[in-house]
Parts: sequence; structure tokens; C-alpha cells
Amino acid sequence: MLDIESLSKSFDKGKSFALKNVSFHLKEGDVCALVGESGSGKTTLVRLIAGLETPDAGVIRLNGEVVSSLNNFVPPEKRKVGLVFQDYALFPHMTLFKNVLYGISKEKNKNQRAQEVLNLVGLGGMKDRYPHQLSGGQQQRVALARALAPNPALLILDEPFSNLDAMLRMQLRNEIFEIVKATGVTAIFVTHDTQDALAVADEILILQRGELIQKDEAANLYTKPNSIYVASLFGNTIQLSHELQSAFKCPLNPECSHAIRNENFAINNEECEHVTHAQVIKRTFLGHDTQLLLKLDSGQKISVLTKDRNVADLIKIGFNSKDVLEFNS
Amino acid sequence: MKQAGSKNIFSFKYRLKRLKRDSNKWAIFTLLILFLIVLPIVSIGVKLFSGPGETWSHIVDNLLLDYLGNSLFLIFACGAIVLLFGVSTAWLVARYEFPLRKQMEWLLILPLAIPGYIVAYAYAGIFDYGGTLQLILEAVGLEFVRFDIMNKSGLAFVLGISLFPYVYVSSRAFFLNQANSLMEASEMLGVGPVKTFFKLMLPMARPAIVAGLILVLMEVLNDYGAAKYFGVNTFTTGIFRSWFSLEEPETAVYLSALLIVIVFTLILLEKFQRRKLRFNSNRDNNMRIYRKKVSPKNQLIIFLAVLLPVVLGFLLPVAQLIYWATLTYENVFNLSFLTISVQSFGIALLTAFVSVIIAVILIFFSKWSRLGFVKNIAKLGVLGYAIPGAVVAIGIMIPTIFIDRWLIDVMDYLFNVDLGLILTGTLVALIYAYVVRFLAVAYNPIESTALKVSNAIPDSSNMLGVGNLRTFFKIEFPLIRTGIASAFILVFIDVLKELPLTLILKPFHVNTLAVKAYEYASDEMVMEAAIPSLFIIVTVMLPVIFLNRLLIK
Repeated sequence: MLDIESLSKSFDKGKSFALKNVSFHLKEGDVCALVGESGSGKTTLVRLIAGLETPDAGVIRLNGEVVSSLNNFVPPEKRKVGLVFQDYALFPHMTLFKNVLYGISKEKNKNQRAQEVLNLVGLGGMKDRYPHQLSGGQQQRVALARALAPNPALLILDEPFSNLDAMLRMQLRNEIFEIVKATGVTAIFVTHDTQDALAVADEILILQRGELIQKDEAANLYTKPNSIYVASLFGNTIQLSHELQSAFKCPLNPECSHAIRNENFAINNEECEHVTHAQVIKRTFLGHDTQLLLKLDSGQKISVLTKDRNVADLIKIGFNSKDVLEFNS
Repeated sequence: MKQAGSKNIFSFKYRLKRLKRDSNKWAIFTLLILFLIVLPIVSIGVKLFSGPGETWSHIVDNLLLDYLGNSLFLIFACGAIVLLFGVSTAWLVARYEFPLRKQMEWLLILPLAIPGYIVAYAYAGIFDYGGTLQLILEAVGLEFVRFDIMNKSGLAFVLGISLFPYVYVSSRAFFLNQANSLMEASEMLGVGPVKTFFKLMLPMARPAIVAGLILVLMEVLNDYGAAKYFGVNTFTTGIFRSWFSLEEPETAVYLSALLIVIVFTLILLEKFQRRKLRFNSNRDNNMRIYRKKVSPKNQLIIFLAVLLPVVLGFLLPVAQLIYWATLTYENVFNLSFLTISVQSFGIALLTAFVSVIIAVILIFFSKWSRLGFVKNIAKLGVLGYAIPGAVVAIGIMIPTIFIDRWLIDVMDYLFNVDLGLILTGTLVALIYAYVVRFLAVAYNPIESTALKVSNAIPDSSNMLGVGNLRTFFKIEFPLIRTGIASAFILVFIDVLKELPLTLILKPFHVNTLAVKAYEYASDEMVMEAAIPSLFIIVTVMLPVIFLNRLLIK
């Protein structure tokens, strides 16, 4: 459906790359999340796919047709890609209905279709309002309805929830992706929040400094990250240095690097394979969890999270081999 | 595997391929318009190589020092006058409460409604033998001592008093936006208001003040009518003389080139001072401005201090013109005057229309171009505002005469048709020149409103399958209407007031109010100049007040 081959983009004539040699493939109907920190190239990548930027090298194919290459550039209005912007970008001087109608003005059943998509996002009754009369979440749903109205081949959502507060965000996220999945459209969802990505995406792409470093299904990314960077994106991890390995009497392949997730540590659990004694030197109450700063017998300090607020000062801490993450680097 | 992302994708071959891919019609149109805008200036540069005229050595020996000395004198003297009036009035209306303050705030802008040459005519009339001052003095039984104003000091006064609002507007904006907290902080530290003004506010306001000052100086160098009437030799009068009296275009071109150098030196100085200092205090739109209340006696002093420049720059000249108008309206107000008014308004409207379209094309086509360098150079289109009108006119004459001659030869050779001049001496050349000179006036307000529209808005229109032009008409135009309206009004005003460029390029059978006023004054019929002058002033005043309302908001 979407084919990307060696895509590169630099904004300073090759001194640095916003996007470097990125290649991947999306199947029809996939919902894929594009995850990375700010400045990792997520937005550049989707703007290239949308046709709002021109690549310096590489090829983009949509449904087999080359839309962007070194010799060829299909402008955004001819790509059949829908884009939901971070700040919604509704047309302020048009009613909701006019906003939605805008992209389908040449179609026969345009009025019916506009009403249909507004109903789909639950705003059918507000079609004569103006964007400034809506809440942020409602505006976001109109933006989605507007993008879906022309039946795009590909739908891109660029950080769609970043302007919303946490409560609304989770609710709207689930609502919106129910709609997206119901329409069966192929979608790319840009986010810096891995929780959002894990919650809704079939597949996740990780970008770091303009390079695609891992693409996999959500569950696989969590259990088999291919770098400590990816592992740390999905929760606190502790790198198992050689010193820590010997402290826990757990020698690992010296060719590889290793890490373990914070939640895989167990306190005072005799069944753990690798255990050591530790002294709690600082407790930080975080509400749901308590963070403990531990000093191991061997002298290293590590911090772990626990649900038990009343841990004794001297404890045993350990983990199991199966939870160790191994990376080839 | 191909190693994209490495250096090779920035090789010449790759760049050329991308250039070909990204060259769309918008980029080509943008470049074409930019070419037409810079053509006059380039023409002057090219024409320099054909050598100076015969009188050039005479001018260098006898007149050049005079031109240079007078122009520098005007720069400094006018600069001092506009700073004195502009900064002081801005500070007083921004920081003090006094009776009629709100009215004074916009009255202080009105001197801009009177072109400098008309102020010059009015003052000459006031101070002349048999002038208004003598009549008044003799009526009250005092002896008249003639005060000669028709020299370079008088010229500096006249231009200064009619141009100080540029500095007033830019520094008032700064003093208003300047958070009260700064003033309060200074006063909490026990520093008095006078010291606060000189030690804190003035240095911080400097970039804003100099930005206004530079506009004044460009207008000073642009002036022809006032300098001519007062008999002061400046670069502009020199250009006119070489072109019309001496009939030596080459010499006019050399003088134009020198004048361009002076203007660009000023601009570079301004950029330099601004680069080192940029105080952007956070603007708070909801901020209330607390103005000082002083004793009634001091309030009266402040009121009179603010009133003085309004009287000198607006009320006095307008009173003189009205007096003259009552004496001459029977002779002046006839059918041909009506024709001139209609022509004048027609030309100004047409130019405003064309300028707005060209500005919109430059701003939006360059945005739609996918070539980075086209986006970057679009701003070059505003360069004409720095170039004095007489120089723009000379710069337009060179290529239009060239093209006309070529067209006549070609048409004669191919079809044996006598084509005649289709550019030179026609409205086409005149409006072309106006657009070059005033494009910045249209460009800036449109650009600043366009910048307020998030890029995501037109982008999402594109994403919905709508092309750039339709996006402009359906989405962007409705959102930037106010910018377009003020651009239109501002160009209209400037064209109506314009004199030197119009004098050089106007078609023989066409006349404007400005030119008519100038002709009366040149023909020793300065009283008759009052009616066309008042027509200009009234027409300009209405939108000036309107735009100031927008500014104050």
C-alpha cells in the first residue's frame, strides 16, 4: 500500500539529516504508529508522504504509483492522503458542515456524505457551529471527519492528542481509533507517547535522529527491543553492566549489551535466579509506586520501583534470566 | 545497496535533477516578477558602463559637492527635527494623562496627510513678502521683519515637520508595548522620570526610533517638489536637471547611482544598529497602560508641547491653503480640474489594484514554489521603496525606451507597420514604476496578516484535494482581507501624493492633482495650488484616521 525506499531529507544541504535513508512498507488496513522524540524526523517523514515537503533522495509509492522520487513529484492535492494536524487546522471562517464538505465538493452525494462522517464522529447535531465554538476534543473529531470524508487511501494523524489534557486524551484516543479501525483505512499515527502507540497501533516504527531503528508489532517491541534506546522508550530499564552482572552473579555474553526492566526486579522473592542483598538509602513516594534508591552489597547504586510502601531497610533484590534483554552492540 | 544519505545526494547531478523536479509554474512566475521589479535598478547599473555624459565633469567640479553637502545637511537637520518632535510627543502621549490626549494621539499622525512639497508651498506663502504673516502683523500694527524660509534650513524644517509622524508612530508603539513593570522597577529603585527616560527608555527604544527615522530619511532623499521650490540643489533636483534641462540621461543615471549608494548606506547602518540591539519585551495585549497624572499646570504644558507639532505640521499649512483656496477657487475649480481629479484617482486606484495583486503573487507564489531559494528571495520585491521616485523613473525609462525602439524596428521590418511607442510615455510605464516603488507598501501588511494564518490551514486544504489557487480564494483570501484592504488604501494614498516619479513618467495628456499643484507653484501661481493640494489632503486624511484606528486597537 505504502512503500518507502531510502528516503532522505536534509534542511541544510546535507550538513545534517532530518531523515536518513528510511525504508519501510505498510499493508492495506494497517494502523501504524510512528514514535520518536521531538526532532527525530517523525513530522518530516509524514510531511514527505503527504507531499508537503520534497525529499532529497528516495522513492515513495502509494498503491504502486510513484508519488515522489528524484524525477517525479505528485503535489499533495493529488495524492489522496488525509492528514489530521496537531492544531486541527479547521477553517475558522466555515461551519463544521462546510469544513467537512470542503474536500468533497465535487462529489454527487456530498451533503449526505458530509452528514455521514459528522455522525460518525458524533457531531452530526452541531454541523452549523463554527470551529471556535467547539472544545479541543470536538475540534479534533471534526478534523478527523474532514480528513475521512473524501475516503483517503492513507490517513495520517500528526500528534493529534498533544494539545489535550491527559484525561480527555485517553478517552478521545480510544474513540478516534475505534472510528479509524471501523473505516478500515490505512493509517499512520505520529506520537511521542509510547503508551498511545502501544494502545492503538498494530505496528510501531521507531525513529531516532532521522533513522528508522526498529519496526515491529507492539508486543514484540516491548519484549524484543533491538536496542537499549528502544527498550527505554517503553519503560524504565537498567543497563546490566559487567559490574552489575557480577553483583548479581549473572554472567552474560560479553559480546552483547544487556538491560533489565525496572518492573522485572523482585524484592525479597526467594525464587529469583539472581539475587543480592541491598540497603534502601532513599525512598521517594510517587503515589502509585514508591521509588527506592538501593545500595547493593557490592557498592553499586540502582533505583527500582515497588508497590510496597513499607519495605524494610535491608532487603533482597533479584530477577530472572528470562527477563534479561540482550542487544547486539 | 545505494548509500543514500551520504554526501553524493548533494552532488551537482542530484541537485540539478531536484531543481528540474521542483521547478513549478509558481517558481517561474515569482522569478519573472522579481526580474521586472529589479530591472530598473539593474538597468541603471548596466547603463553606467556606457559612460557619463558631457556635463558630468562640470557637475562633479561645480555641483556634486553642493548636492552631497545639501543632502547630508538635510539628513542631519531633518533627522534632528523628527527625533525631537517624534520621540517627545510619543513619550508624552504614551506615559502621561492630559486633556484631549486621545484626540492628540491621532492628530499627531495627520501631518503625514500633507506631502512635503505642499507644506513647503504653504510656509513660503506664510513668510513671503505680502504673505499671511505680514498681513496679520500689519493688521495689529506691528512691523514686518521678513524671515527667509526658502533656503536649506527652511527646507529641513518643512520636511521635518511634515515627516516626524513616522518616528512618532514607531516610538509610540514601543513606549506603549513597553511593560509598565520596567518603568515601575526603575521608579522603585528611586530613579526619577527624567533619568528613567534618558537612561532606560531611550536606549531601549532606539531600534524602533531608528526604524522610523530611516523611513523619514528615505522620504527626504526622495523629495523633489519642496527642494525645487526652495531652490536647494539636491541629488533629486540634479537628476531632474540633467534629464530635462541638460537632456543628458547618462548624467542623470550617474547621479541616480550615487543616490542609490547613499540610500543603501543608510539602510546598512540601520541594519547594523538593529543587529546589535534587539529588545523585545514581552507584549501583553491585555496590559493596561497606567499614565501619569500630573498637576493641571504641567498638564497644560504637556498639552501645548504636543499641540505645537500638530499646529506646525498640519493646522498652520492647512489654514494657509484654505485661505488661498477661498481666493482662487473660482479660477481653479472647473471642468479640466475635475478631469484631473478623476484621472488622479483612477491612476491611484489602478496602481493600488495592480500592486496588491503583484504583492499577493509574490507572497503566495513563492510559498507555493518548492524551491528554497525562490522563497528566500521573494522579499527582494520590496526593495523599490528604498529607491527615490526619480531614480525609479530613470530606471524604468532605460528598459522601456530600449524595448520600444526594438519593437518599432521589428514591426517595421516584419510587417511594415509603424507601431509607435507602446511603453514609453504611457500609463503602462507609469504604473509599472509606481508598482516598483510602492510594492513594499502593499507587501508588508499583506505579509503580516498572512503570517498570522497557520501554515497547517492551507496545507490541510491541499490535503483535501484542493489546489493552491483555489485554496487561496476559498481559504486564505477571506482570512487576510484586512491586510489586503489596508495594503490597497496605503498604496492609493502614496500614489496620490507622489510627485517626482509622476513628473518624469506621466503620459503627456494625463495629469494628477500632485502634478497640477506642482505646476501652479512652478508657474508663480502658488495660490492656485491650494485647491488640488487640499483635495489630496482630504482624500488622504480619511484613510489615515481609519488606519490609525486599526493601529490603536
